[in-house]
Amino acid sequence: MKKIGIILLWLLVWQLLSMVIHNSILLAGPVESVGALWQMILTREYWHAILFSLIRIIGGFFFGSVLGMILAWGSYRASLLEDFLKPFISVLKAVPVASFVIILLIWAGNKMLSFYISSLVVLPLLYINTLNGLRATDKKILEMAEVFRIPMFRRVRYIYIPSVYPYLYSAFQTSLGMAWKSGVAAEVIGQPIGSMGNGLYQSKIYLETAELFAWTITIVAFSFIAEKLFLKVAGICFNQKE
Amino acid sequence: MHIHFKDITKSYDGKIVLDRVNLLIDSGSESRDVLLRGASGIGKTTLLRIIAGLESPDGGSIEISMGEAARGGSSLKVGMVFQEDRLLEQLSAVANVSLVDTSVSEQRAREALGEILPPEALDRPVRELSGGMKRRVAIVRALLPPSDILVMDEPFTGLDPDTRDRVIGYIMRSKGRRPLIIASHEVEGLPKMRELILEQNQL
Repeated sequence: MKKIGIILLWLLVWQLLSMVIHNSILLAGPVESVGALWQMILTREYWHAILFSLIRIIGGFFFGSVLGMILAWGSYRASLLEDFLKPFISVLKAVPVASFVIILLIWAGNKMLSFYISSLVVLPLLYINTLNGLRATDKKILEMAEVFRIPMFRRVRYIYIPSVYPYLYSAFQTSLGMAWKSGVAAEVIGQPIGSMGNGLYQSKIYLETAELFAWTITIVAFSFIAEKLFLKVAGICFNQKE
Repeated sequence: MHIHFKDITKSYDGKIVLDRVNLLIDSGSESRDVLLRGASGIGKTTLLRIIAGLESPDGGSIEISMGEAARGGSSLKVGMVFQEDRLLEQLSAVANVSLVDTSVSEQRAREALGEILPPEALDRPVRELSGGMKRRVAIVRALLPPSDILVMDEPFTGLDPDTRDRVIGYIMRSKGRRPLIIASHEVEGLPKMRELILEQNQL
């Protein structure tokens, strides 16, 4: 109840501010933005853009996550692989997303740009967190598993996953939001036709601030829903409670 | 089966823990079970860890069966009770026992645990059990899967005399002809077995 009250208060501040400024190009109010959103919802292009970006960003998130986890497992088992990957992971962490966007735009075009970018953003996070989780696994329990020769599948399921899951959970929480932000940013730069990023860009060109806010609301809403849904599903898949 | 530990030496940071230790275990002999005694920190746990293949000796050798040589004893299948319980706290007692070996069914684990644990403790997560109950789960886990040798490091910690006697009875019934090497300060209630004392890092 308190949460809803705070949100309503901020919406009121936004509305009042837009009324004071009285210029919908500079600041469109919430009523105007919701109106624009309603108009967009009724079009086929809107849903097409959502589907276009959703598939690529979520697909990129999955690909980056799975690759990050596999590489982390490899590094955990063979320190040589960890040494080999260290510079690559450092580069992924340090290089600005915009640089990757431009390089990939030249190399691979704009159609799958948000897929590649969200993968690249997610990969180091998942890699580092999974590796930390694996390293935090209780050594004494691992010794026990060694003595009893517990099969690897059971070790993964009953020893490694419970140890890694808290690390994975926080990595998923951060990386899903980042995948959305960087994926849409890549679309704004790369301009694939019929994407959410393209919609945002078009709003900017035509100074349609209400439409720009409507797209932003859409992105935030889908990012939020995707995060909640994914964390729920991940909890069930890994047999862990949130 | 013969296991011969010959002149086993082990040191940590230059400090000798085991100095030319010799031990022969013959599963066919009546004296196959060994009670290992000695002051705290004298090297009993180190010797048990070498037997379990968790550590390699710095010197000496381990001969298993027909002269087959292995350094570190890693070819032995060992049933072990560690000094700490080393249970998976989120799992039930039954799951902890049936997890370690595919040949141990849930039913077998339940029956075995039922001999020394109250029935209401079997399906509760291990983290909710008392120290003594956890110890008993660790003992059943060591005994139930097939193994060549049993190694127990202070298995009776946290058990009251009555429970300890019940657990000893269970161990002796369940171990079959497998050699048992037990390091324990508590000797009361234990059946007669070969007693070896580790003194000044030597047996």
